Amino acid sequence: MFLRIFVYKIKELSRKYWLVGWNFVFPLVLATAFFLGFGNLIKEDPDTLQTIDVGYVNQLDKSAGFEQVLKELSKENDEGTTLLNLHTYSSKDEAVEDMNSDIIFGFYLESHDGIETVVRSNSYVSTIMNEIVREYNNYTDVINDIAKKHPEKVPAAMDAISSNNSFISEHSFGQNTSQYLQYFYALLAMTSLFSSWISTSMLEGMCANMSECGKRVECSPASKFLSIAAGILAGTLLQIVSNIIVVIYIQYILGINLGVPMGTMIILCSIGSGLGISAGILMGSMIRNERLLVTVPLFFTMICSFFSGLMWGQIKQLLQYNCPIINKINPAALLTDAMYIRSTYGPTDEFYQDTFIMCLMIVGCLIISTLFLRRRKYVSL
Amino acid sequence: MSQPVVSIDNLVKRYGENVAVDHFSLKIEEGEILGLLGPNGSGKTTTINCLLSLLTYDKGDIKIWGKEMNPSAYDIKSQIGVVMQNVAVIDTLNVYENVDFFCGLYINDKKLRKQYVEEALEFTGLTDYKKQKPKKLSGGLLRRLNIACGIAHKPKLIIFDEPTVAVDPQSRNAILEGIKKMNKAGATIIYTSHYMEEVEELCSRVVIMDHGKNIANGTSNELKSSLISREKIRIGLPNKSPEILAGLKEINHVYKVKEDADDVIIKCDGGEHNLVHVLSYLTDNNIPFGHVTTELPTLNDVFLEITGKELRD
Repeated sequence: MFLRIFVYKIKELSRKYWLVGWNFVFPLVLATAFFLGFGNLIKEDPDTLQTIDVGYVNQLDKSAGFEQVLKELSKENDEGTTLLNLHTYSSKDEAVEDMNSDIIFGFYLESHDGIETVVRSNSYVSTIMNEIVREYNNYTDVINDIAKKHPEKVPAAMDAISSNNSFISEHSFGQNTSQYLQYFYALLAMTSLFSSWISTSMLEGMCANMSECGKRVECSPASKFLSIAAGILAGTLLQIVSNIIVVIYIQYILGINLGVPMGTMIILCSIGSGLGISAGILMGSMIRNERLLVTVPLFFTMICSFFSGLMWGQIKQLLQYNCPIINKINPAALLTDAMYIRSTYGPTDEFYQDTFIMCLMIVGCLIISTLFLRRRKYVSL
Repeated sequence: MSQPVVSIDNLVKRYGENVAVDHFSLKIEEGEILGLLGPNGSGKTTTINCLLSLLTYDKGDIKIWGKEMNPSAYDIKSQIGVVMQNVAVIDTLNVYENVDFFCGLYINDKKLRKQYVEEALEFTGLTDYKKQKPKKLSGGLLRRLNIACGIAHKPKLIIFDEPTVAVDPQSRNAILEGIKKMNKAGATIIYTSHYMEEVEELCSRVVIMDHGKNIANGTSNELKSSLISREKIRIGLPNKSPEILAGLKEINHVYKVKEDADDVIIKCDGGEHNLVHVLSYLTDNNIPFGHVTTELPTLNDVFLEITGKELRD
């Protein structure tokens, strides 16, 4: 009986035009709008490390140690990435010409006065270029200092430095950490919470105090718990499918890397769907007005999504500074936070904490709903 | 003596200060078609909801087949079919799927369920519409679908809660014929309505409810024979002088003469050939008259006499 109710609930829900529109089509439309708005900004995100074209002009009379360092950094590292693509020039003018032609981003000019970094504009690339110089100068200062005070220890110092000659290492900050991605995370959170009205709609057809169909179901020998459980499962499955479609659309059709491994993303979407469904069950178990069964879940979804940064990206940070508890009780904020953390920092404790809180919310909503629905064992009509 | 199918004893249901069902008692024997008659708001649907354990009640006992009815009495529920007052079908499922879904809540065996669903569709004349969505059906067909969903699992007790509201006469007749067939096949029927003609035609026994009380209980003939008025004669009478009216009232068995627009209504408390006596009086006295009709008492007259108001007020 469980399977039959489940199958029929899938059929019933998936044929509702409003459900298909809001839960399947609307997120895709919104994702497309976001993509048109700032898709390029995400694709060209500074945090997506790319090989930097740099020039080097040696105005010394001899070969320099710094040039050797740059050549080392132009080789592919163990992780298969190359930090620099080195172009050497015999004169500053040649380097400037290539820089102005966008062949190189900037160049190093090494002379007796030291190493000068010349760039077109300030950006994260110029920061990396400066960092390379700063690190190099630090090392040479250390060696010079040792040479003056303890000349016998210079070889050992050189060995130590050469065994740790990573001037700049790429930390695994995930695949994409653009600030604009949070809009897509908030979109996924909103899609998940839209499932709240799947469950209010599902409950409406199951409870005698909500609809005539509900009366018919409650007059039957089918257990109310079993019927609602089958409906919850059907609603959750539909929502997970909806979320996966949105993820695939964003990641593979719009070409925006969400930065979270697909498996983890599916798990997070499933938890998000569970959150929406269980929140809807809770609302449905408390609300008796037919109109409110639609407006309350909609209001809940939009408010939660707004505070998770769907319309204004800075809102979540603002709340984090002024009233952090809201971010910890807002299911949409928790979901976007979990996605952001997983994307940026990997599976940290905070990621697991967010996931745990969301699971706790699902269980909490279902327990409270069960209590409400049990109290209505005899319904009030 | 076999136990009653339904036994309601001293049922009381209150909504705050308002008493919806007031010490209502009822017994229904197997094979009966019981008509629960009463005006809107008389407590019929509340009684049915209490009977089905959809509503809590303040006092009383409800037993079905001798067992106490409660929300978890699944063995009892599996033998009951309910046809709601309002159409209770799922809009996004087609006719076949609707009947299959609701039948599936009772019947697990797939093969048997398929057979029952087909039979229910044939019984309600919906076989040709099984792929249609409910929204595409006319009001009458929708009512039939509502019935098919309620009876597909072949229940032994079927409750029809005003199934013919807003139904065209053709569909209404089909529904009533269907109910008779189900009863012949062995089902006990509870039929609530405020259409007395339907109840008179269909029901083997009638219970009249008003203000939540059981105010009359018996067969249609028993209830009507309990009336003072046995016959009502309506005559188009241009001259309604007090002498003529007094003369009419003196005819044997005539107990009331009442003017009604251009007509005069003459009520008789029994006797035979009352119409002949009235017409003889008029012709013997050269009193001109127009149309003449005679009516036997209806359940509405029973209700009117007991409560002082019309059934459909």
